Amino acid sequence: MEDVIIVRSLMKSYGTKKAVNNLSFSVKKGEIFGIIGPNGAGKTTTIEIMEGLRKKDSGEVSILGMNPEKERKVLNHRIGVQFQATSIQKKMKVKEALKLFAAIYNKSNTGDEMLKLLGLEEKMDTYFDDLSGGQKQRLTLALATLHEPEIIFLDEPSMGLDPHARREMWNIIRSLRDRGTTIVVTTHYMEEAEKLCDRVAMIYNGELRALDEPSRLVEDISSHFISFRSPDFPVGQLHQIAGVIDVEHDKELDAFKIYTEDLQSCSYFLFKTAHEENYHISDYKFERGTLDDLFVHYLKGGESA
Amino acid sequence: MTALWQLTLLETKMFFRDKLQVFWTFLFPVLMIWLFGSMFENQAPEGFSFASLYIPSWIGVNIVTTAFFTLGTVLTGYRETGVLRRYQSTPLAPWKILFAHTIQGTVIFSFSAVVLVVFGTLMFDLHAPVYLGSTLVALLLSILAFFPFALFLTSLAKNVGTAAAISSLFLNLMLFLSGATFPLEMMPDVLQYIAKILPLYYVIELLRATWNTSPIWENWTPVLVLSCIALVSIVLSSVFFKWSGKAE
Ligand SMILES: Nc1ncnc2c1ncn2[C@@H]1O[C@H](COP(=O)(O)OP(=O)(O)OP(=O)(O)O)[C@@H](O)[C@H]1O
Ligand SMILES: [Mg+2]
Repeated sequence: MEDVIIVRSLMKSYGTKKAVNNLSFSVKKGEIFGIIGPNGAGKTTTIEIMEGLRKKDSGEVSILGMNPEKERKVLNHRIGVQFQATSIQKKMKVKEALKLFAAIYNKSNTGDEMLKLLGLEEKMDTYFDDLSGGQKQRLTLALATLHEPEIIFLDEPSMGLDPHARREMWNIIRSLRDRGTTIVVTTHYMEEAEKLCDRVAMIYNGELRALDEPSRLVEDISSHFISFRSPDFPVGQLHQIAGVIDVEHDKELDAFKIYTEDLQSCSYFLFKTAHEENYHISDYKFERGTLDDLFVHYLKGGESA
Repeated sequence: MTALWQLTLLETKMFFRDKLQVFWTFLFPVLMIWLFGSMFENQAPEGFSFASLYIPSWIGVNIVTTAFFTLGTVLTGYRETGVLRRYQSTPLAPWKILFAHTIQGTVIFSFSAVVLVVFGTLMFDLHAPVYLGSTLVALLLSILAFFPFALFLTSLAKNVGTAAAISSLFLNLMLFLSGATFPLEMMPDVLQYIAKILPLYYVIELLRATWNTSPIWENWTPVLVLSCIALVSIVLSSVFFKWSGKAE
């Protein structure tokens, strides 16, 4: 499949703050591409540069073969955008917003099928201001998709959605993808990244930390860890074991988590030490991390680097 | 329906949904006329009635309030809350947004002018404009001068609070110094000179003249001044159009 989005060595600073730092990735047609990262990681900045709404400092961005900064007018017909933080007029009714956006895109239909899916049909005469947070989010999703764009950018679309609504939104996004639409989505929810996205870019401090299919990311060796409880194992000693990446210690529960490159030799060392020093170990387990763990793990890596 | 027409229609509808704004725009000037009328009704200069001088003035003032509050401050609010940003990623061109709001403002202003004229006719025996055509052209020119002027000035404000402050400052300054509320001749010389650098002064001069004494082509000074303001501010407001208050 062809690359519909290409980002190369993208840089963007606000004052001395590097919001995006040497970011490169590409997105294939018909892919659901996730961008994850903590608050302030640079997700919104990156996505809005791709939409042509912010100016990059340097690097290369190509969307559908176009330069979004220079060719935004043409591009605007072919992309759909859901912002993290914009609103529409408070006193505008749902049906009015839909009609206005249909007119802006020269469409006669207002995407009725989508409205049914989004459960907005009974809300047609409600003012935007009177919608619940999740309903607002659904409306802005409808506005982003009603002109059947080739690429849809969604900045934290599941913010404020209840778990049921979130699953429905995933289904909508998947059905859009199955029609050949490319979707770029940012999120804080690792579950969403894992279940919805075909590929995920994890960014931290504007830098790319990982880029792969979610299942491959969690397969990543560094997301595997050992967990056990011990009232007397000294934490310092654990850090010295060869191959250990990180140790988490919960003092209340006497619980340890050890992230390591080599589970087997680490285990051997643990039990050997425990045996020699007469430490007590219980609840010993090999565990496979979720994206959540991976996320926290990469953040830690970022802080020490 | 085209986007331009749809947006104009919606913005006009939404204006009438805000009851407080409707009151401020339509009834406040009427109350002011009533108040000043009861004070100054018998002090009009020879050959003029109170209404024939002050109703046109307040119509002029209404252009300014519409320009600054119905248009300028509202658009700054749209900038602040991201309404305009939402349009930025659509094919809707900036001039269409400005144009839609200008038409909406003109419609609302026309309503308020009719309210004032009806009120003046019923309460103060206002006569129809002597040069009706000239009066209408004068109104159009004043709108073209003031709407973009206000749109540009308020676009410099980062938020609604600042925009409202700028607007109030301009409005009050012009209200008291342009002869709209009481005769300029009652004020010290210095203030009379200051009055002449305020655009509203020319609007009022032109409206009063065409309403009472002379057609528009005999009033070339205000026509020239207002045309210049119109030209400059249309260019400024469209060239420096801002989608949002934040850095890109
Ligand atoms: N307009 C701006 N002016 C100054 N700094 C900005 C601006 N926009 C973003 N930043 C800074 O750039 C960094 C990245 O911000 P960005 O909004 O892209 O983060 P994000 O990943 O979307 O975060 P969140 O998950 O909270 O939405 C932050 O440190 C932020 O303070
Ligand atoms: Mg963000």
